[in-house]
Amino acid sequence: MSSLLRQHAEQLYAQELEELQKQETGKRPANWKLTPQSVVTYLTGGKLQNGFEVTPKYIGNKRLMEIAVATLTTDRALLLYGLPGTAKSWVSEHLAAAVCGDSTMIIQGTAGTSEEAIRYGWNYARLLAEGPSEKALVETPVMRSMKDGKIVRIEELTRIGADVQDTLITILSEKTLPIPELNSEVQAVRGFNVIATANNRDKGVNELSSALKRRFNTVILPVLDSMDEEIDIVKRRVESFEKVMELPAEPPALAEIRRIVTIFRELRSGVTLDGKTKIKTPSGTLSTAEAISVVNNGLAMAAYFGDGQLKAADLAAGIIGSVVKDPVQDKLVWQEYLETVVKPREDWKDIYRACRDLL
Amino acid sequence: MIHILGIRHHGPGSARNVKEFLEKVKPDIVLVEGPPEADPLLQWVNHEALKPPVAILVYQPDDPQRSSFYPFAEFSPEWQAIAYARRNNIHVRFMDLPISHQVALEKEKKEPPVAVEPSVNNYIIRNNEAGDKIAFAKDPISYLAEAAGYEDGEKWWEHMFEHRQSNEQVFEAVTEAMQVLRETMPGKEDRAEQCREAWMRKTIRQAEKEMFRNIAVICGAWHAPALVNMPSAKEDNELLKGLPKVKVECTWIPWTYSRLSYYSGYGAGIGSPGWYDHVWHYPHDDGTRWMAKVAQLFRTKQMDTSVAHVIEAVRLAESLASMRNLYKAGLEELNEATRTVLCNGESIQMQLINDELIVSNRIGEVPQEIPKPPLQLDIEKLQKRLRLPAAADFKDYTLDLRKENDLERSIFLHRLQLLEINWGERQEVTGKGTFKEQWRLQWSPELSINIIEKGNWGNTVAEAAEKFVMAKAGDADSLSVVTELLENTIPAELHRAVETCIQRINNLAAASGDVIQLMEVVPGLVQATRYGSVRKTDADLVMGIVNSMLTRIYVSLPAACTAVSDDAAQKLLEFFFKLNDAVNVLQQSDITSQWQQTLQAIATGGNTTPTIAGYATRLLADYKLLEGEALVRVFHYAMSSATPPDKAAAWLEGFLKGSGTILLIDNDLWNLVNNWVDTLDEETFTRVLPLLRRTFAGFSSPERKKLGEKVKTGGSGTTVKQVESNIDEERAKRGLPVIMQLLGIKTKP
Repeated sequence: MSSLLRQHAEQLYAQELEELQKQETGKRPANWKLTPQSVVTYLTGGKLQNGFEVTPKYIGNKRLMEIAVATLTTDRALLLYGLPGTAKSWVSEHLAAAVCGDSTMIIQGTAGTSEEAIRYGWNYARLLAEGPSEKALVETPVMRSMKDGKIVRIEELTRIGADVQDTLITILSEKTLPIPELNSEVQAVRGFNVIATANNRDKGVNELSSALKRRFNTVILPVLDSMDEEIDIVKRRVESFEKVMELPAEPPALAEIRRIVTIFRELRSGVTLDGKTKIKTPSGTLSTAEAISVVNNGLAMAAYFGDGQLKAADLAAGIIGSVVKDPVQDKLVWQEYLETVVKPREDWKDIYRACRDLL
Repeated sequence: MIHILGIRHHGPGSARNVKEFLEKVKPDIVLVEGPPEADPLLQWVNHEALKPPVAILVYQPDDPQRSSFYPFAEFSPEWQAIAYARRNNIHVRFMDLPISHQVALEKEKKEPPVAVEPSVNNYIIRNNEAGDKIAFAKDPISYLAEAAGYEDGEKWWEHMFEHRQSNEQVFEAVTEAMQVLRETMPGKEDRAEQCREAWMRKTIRQAEKEMFRNIAVICGAWHAPALVNMPSAKEDNELLKGLPKVKVECTWIPWTYSRLSYYSGYGAGIGSPGWYDHVWHYPHDDGTRWMAKVAQLFRTKQMDTSVAHVIEAVRLAESLASMRNLYKAGLEELNEATRTVLCNGESIQMQLINDELIVSNRIGEVPQEIPKPPLQLDIEKLQKRLRLPAAADFKDYTLDLRKENDLERSIFLHRLQLLEINWGERQEVTGKGTFKEQWRLQWSPELSINIIEKGNWGNTVAEAAEKFVMAKAGDADSLSVVTELLENTIPAELHRAVETCIQRINNLAAASGDVIQLMEVVPGLVQATRYGSVRKTDADLVMGIVNSMLTRIYVSLPAACTAVSDDAAQKLLEFFFKLNDAVNVLQQSDITSQWQQTLQAIATGGNTTPTIAGYATRLLADYKLLEGEALVRVFHYAMSSATPPDKAAAWLEGFLKGSGTILLIDNDLWNLVNNWVDTLDEETFTRVLPLLRRTFAGFSSPERKKLGEKVKTGGSGTTVKQVESNIDEERAKRGLPVIMQLLGIKTKP
């Protein structure tokens, strides 16, 4: 077992990528490690001809993945758009890993991301000593990907300031990165492309300019509409977490995960699963990713402070933490939900009591 | 040589295959699945004015609602086959079991009549040609699709047969596939189905007997095997012996693409008629032309769409298709590309594409000369003359009744509405005046049946409408029904019908002792007389009847207002309100003064139900017949402590019905109510509180808020002070001429 806290997708699923590569027959686009069909199989899972089982990475609409992969085969960049926790970064990492075997070419977009972080920077000591030269140049992931024909990922594109965003336009339309200081340029090698992610819940984001927007194909990743799919995701992710963290706790019962997912779905959609009772919705997004972290957190609690079995009391703190983001309004919402929905449910008594005690 | 061509109804690929096949084998007769009764109609195909989508309507003259449609689009294989035959002057015949037998067979089964929605007969193969009656757990094609690894039978069919460019042996393959299906699928015992196939075989034998050598048979794929393997003629004749029969007639009618889609509940519906139309006309389009159409549509809706967008979308659709191992991009790929590239991933605009392009609202045309029911002809003539074309999507018309043409249009539409041919729908108009009308027109193919049905009332719209209304008025035994009829008949300008209605109302009113029914009717009649100003109508006739009815009401109303229960009183108040409005609209002094006298009688009548008494008082106050001191006195009297509190509260509810403004403005009144509430002890206050609450809940929220504020400030309220100002009249007068000049009023020098 690796001692790394978190492995990259291409490390963790190295075997799957290798098997896929062995099995495929179709034509690969230049500098791709897999054919587009195999990339889709890698993402959505399936059985190969030799019986090798590929685990699904994205659970949901397969057609969306097909659109995403098809976009990367054209010269348009891909923008994954959606609510927080709809697996945008997850998909982008796995796409990059499957297409070019490298998911590490990444720029995290923040309000402070500068042009140097996207185009290139300077090693100032060298610059002063030797003047502008290739050697004094500090390459960014974008520049390296262009040279190597790889996929570069830009996380949270809309958090980057609008002027900085627009430096991408030349890169995306001309596929070159001019370096006026050296009177030269870097021209992108085939296989280069950009996957950006952005979420539509945040306030204070910078909308893409229409010139930039035109260079992206947008795929909106939806919130899962099927309960079973969501439970499946939580279960898989929690299991892999347990393995990595080597927690001395027993894997959570499916019933426990189902309860968490039910609470999250009900609060998210503002109505109970049976459709009979209307509920107020809290201000947070209550994404699947948060449900996963609640269960993970609960497992850790159970392992180190409890008896190793995941109990309602271990989960309560996590649930409240993710539901009550606004101390005043969300607390009311949560209390109301607790009293009107959780309390009357016969086999939910333990969770009701645990949450009650914490409030 | 007999060629059996199994097709999917409304499949452009099938249509192309059929056309190419026919051109290759050059048959000397073409047999098409369809009702033999409609054979004479086939001569109209290829007439330049018969533009698909059209349908053959087969109906029973004695019961037009029991009718069937055979819709054809340009991309229907049947249409192409018939068109081929007409072009080359060879024989073409329908070969299905005659509708006259089919209908009779259905009747025999004694199923509950489901005639509300006329059956559309050209079933798609998916419905295995028999509708839902035969219970297959799944549609048979989906078994084949599943075997081929498709999730949906329709998609599989499309990829296998529709998108194929070469047509060699397609038909043989289809027949073979269906043969296997028919062998493995149980449940083909339905008699009507067997008869249909037997009749088809009989028609083929007949053609052979007539020495046709090269016979092409076009039928739904499901039937193909049954026509290839012919049983003996005797067997079929046995089956067809003694079939029951009814009389039917048929004609061409215009059809719409939206009625071809499943959304309208058509059994053989296709999801995307507009797309199929595109595929039929541009079979080699790689998506470029389609995307250009999408872009154009977006531009007309003010959404920026550049040529670059179109290029990118086509490219994405192509790479999606190649990823899915498809021969070329289909509608799904194009839609996904549109959403991703043009709509920024959102699906809202996709709805627009669906309505305008994928389904599209095209409507067919039928030539004038086709023999049609006379009423239909008259309607078409009027549509043409008044420039009101039938269209599949709705269009709004605002009519100005002062214009000759618009008035005629309005009359025409009103008459159709009376005939229950609901082509136009009256809309609320904004603005004042009775000369404006707004109509929303949307043609739907079912209207043709209504027209045929109403045809026995007369040969022109005017005649049919008049007779229909007169018959309806004669049958009606409730005043409100006839009044409503009259209300609609007056704008339709059917004088004899109006007279009949009035006669009928008079008779019914005389027989009716129920004052409430009369009150219900009068406002409607008054509404009708208002047309007098614009239309040269029978307003005077109506006025006479209104007068006599009002007199009846005045006489018996005070008595009707005594000892009424609470609920009934609420209802009565509504009528009071409307009647009062009607009286005000009439603006005839004698009627108004009589009404006021009646109100007086009601208000002061000791036994009147308190709510109504209160309301009558209020109306009197509105007429300024009770003012100042007098009003205070009446109010005080009603609120006096001798009156039981619940009665007093009910009176107050009636008095304040609908508006609290009077309370806000009139300080004396305010104080009165205020004092009255003050005098209530706690127990009585609790008792009347619900009633008071009911009254105040009827006020608008700003009124309630203001009332609340007034209570808060101590209840006494502010008195409006008259501000005296020192105006120098002489100086003011000097300015007048300039103001007059500014206003354009001429003054004498």
